[in-house]
Amino acid sequence: MRGSLLPLLTSLALAMPAATGIAEDIHARHGSEPQIRAPGYAALKFEPPKPGTYRLPPLGPAPDGPLLDSSGAPVRLQDLYGEKMVVLSFIYTSCADVNGCPLASYVLKQVQNRLMRDPLLADTARLVSLSFDPRVDTPEVMAAYGKLFRRDGFDWRFLTCESETVLAPILDRYDQFVLRDYDEDGNYLGTISHILRVFLIDRDGQIRNIYSPSFLHPDLLMADMRTLSLETR
Amino acid sequence: MTAITTARLRCVSCVCASIVFSWALIGPAVADETCMSPYMAKIVGQEDFVHVWTLGVDGIGDGQDKLVTIDVHPDSPTYGKAVNVLSVGGRNEAHHSGLTDDRRYLWASSLDTSRIFIFDLHSDPAKPRLHKTIDDFVEKTGGVIGPHTNYALPGRMLLTGLSNSRDNGGRTALVEYTNGGEYVTTHWMPTAEKLAGAVKSGSYADGYGYDVRALPRRNVMVTSSFTGRDNYMTKLGDVMADEQAMQRFGNTVVVWDLHTRKPIKILDVPGAPLEIRCAWGPHHNYCFTSTALTAKLWLIYEDDGGDWHAKAVADIGDASKIPLPVDISIFADDTRLWVDTWNDGMARLFDISDPHAPTQIYAERIGAQVNMVSQSWDGDRVYFTSSLLANWDKTESPDDADLQYFKAYDWDGERLRHRFTIDFHEQGLGSPHQMRFGAYGLYGKRRPAAERVSQAR
Repeated sequence: MRGSLLPLLTSLALAMPAATGIAEDIHARHGSEPQIRAPGYAALKFEPPKPGTYRLPPLGPAPDGPLLDSSGAPVRLQDLYGEKMVVLSFIYTSCADVNGCPLASYVLKQVQNRLMRDPLLADTARLVSLSFDPRVDTPEVMAAYGKLFRRDGFDWRFLTCESETVLAPILDRYDQFVLRDYDEDGNYLGTISHILRVFLIDRDGQIRNIYSPSFLHPDLLMADMRTLSLETR
Repeated sequence: MTAITTARLRCVSCVCASIVFSWALIGPAVADETCMSPYMAKIVGQEDFVHVWTLGVDGIGDGQDKLVTIDVHPDSPTYGKAVNVLSVGGRNEAHHSGLTDDRRYLWASSLDTSRIFIFDLHSDPAKPRLHKTIDDFVEKTGGVIGPHTNYALPGRMLLTGLSNSRDNGGRTALVEYTNGGEYVTTHWMPTAEKLAGAVKSGSYADGYGYDVRALPRRNVMVTSSFTGRDNYMTKLGDVMADEQAMQRFGNTVVVWDLHTRKPIKILDVPGAPLEIRCAWGPHHNYCFTSTALTAKLWLIYEDDGGDWHAKAVADIGDASKIPLPVDISIFADDTRLWVDTWNDGMARLFDISDPHAPTQIYAERIGAQVNMVSQSWDGDRVYFTSSLLANWDKTESPDDADLQYFKAYDWDGERLRHRFTIDFHEQGLGSPHQMRFGAYGLYGKRRPAAERVSQAR
């Protein structure tokens, strides 16, 4: 295995306490004080919308791209679209920002748990976590990462890419901005700054919602997925 | 802090208000407008540039609308200078602009032609380039005209309209686009005839639009209301002399369900409520707006039962002298609010620690027709511009100068200290309106070596 598991475990340790909410006054929080956790770690502070009572207008086709699954076998994104609706999350496994990639994987895990209790809906849904750090996130690392989240029998794919060269146009097509962090001397710091985005893709391969940490929450994802499932095709 | 780490995207870059404090872990959170979308990446540290969307004026320079980039880094050899001028090929009534959630692109809209210009800021932050122009806004949106606010949502832009192509009146809509500039959908403002599920809580349901802001943690979106094309493209004196025209100003604020984009409640806020600024504190479930015609500060707030209300909480100057409040800017700690009054050229600072009882605690004359105000995240730097609308701007100043300007100030907690002024007409630029901040560090870039050498000296 090429990538170290240490940062992975670090990020998971940060993610797993599952948060008690964001009750603190943020204006009293500076410097080294604890970070406020995103809403996705706590109970939703408002009533989620009733599925089927609102529209999720299409945002355009979900782009394609050549990837590797966690066994190292080639797979194309388009192969994963169409049969089921897809929740696609761009992550990297050594991300230590509790409100970044760990949040995305945490929320997807909660979605998985809820879908497991709703087999009819679960049969129409697929989760995909795609790394944007192919230098570290080899198929082996993604497989190890996946074991920490995926429950047996659930359709949750953990994907990576052959190289950054192959990855770049995919990120570009998804408008997923990432930036490797370097110090003053040009040394890579091992972290990647990025906008966290999670995509909901329908069975026609259309992007129907894009979530950021502000409202990446299992209640909202479930409401949106149920809304899509109620649409007549 | 070093230049390279002063402004960097982090994983958490869109966690509502907490974003700023996440970045605080790597350095002081000391820069950025305080009135931007909470979904947006924030600058940490000193901003390098202010990008000013500028109205073209016949006989001033090339007469075209343009994006003017001003160097505002104090250590730069070109500090206080317009370092880039990008004309867009004509006059369109340039007005407001807004950044995408990743701050790579600046959307700048225009009230006359309804064109939207999308500028690439990330390739070279000192030299924006025109990336794309949307020319079919009216056709795509089903008749919305006058795109105004450009507001970042995750992966998309939400635009307010000011008018419609059917009657050029104030009825209008919200419009969504992808970040790539593809039209998504139109949400018409609720009217008395078509409430679209909203509750009309008072006397008005005018369907007018102007600004929009979101409070994601409350799943709420708030819109305000101004006037239609028939008024905003007419000379101000003619509008004010026309009793019928003066009736055609917005009197409403609408509270929306953010997730479903459905209007919930229409609130009476008479007198053309303009900019909306929502509080950042996690328990501060309120926003402010000011009414241009009645010179009042309004609080839009949620009660303990989850219901939303509007109430006038302060006078802004002497209403009988028509101070005409325009832009407002809230401090990051929700304790202060800058309020510009266009007619007397004043910047007024209100203590809003008690949002239900704001009081004016400071005022400074900036110059004739001061209009827009933008402050850094820590509030230490405050920038002002002058232009309102091509047909409404003054042509004479009591100072015999200072009609169209960009002015930079420091705020020391007690008073504004002037740093520099750029006379936009004298330099052949036009009439400056909306300001947006830029920084090299947002894109992993460093300031050019020459500037760092200057800094070392």
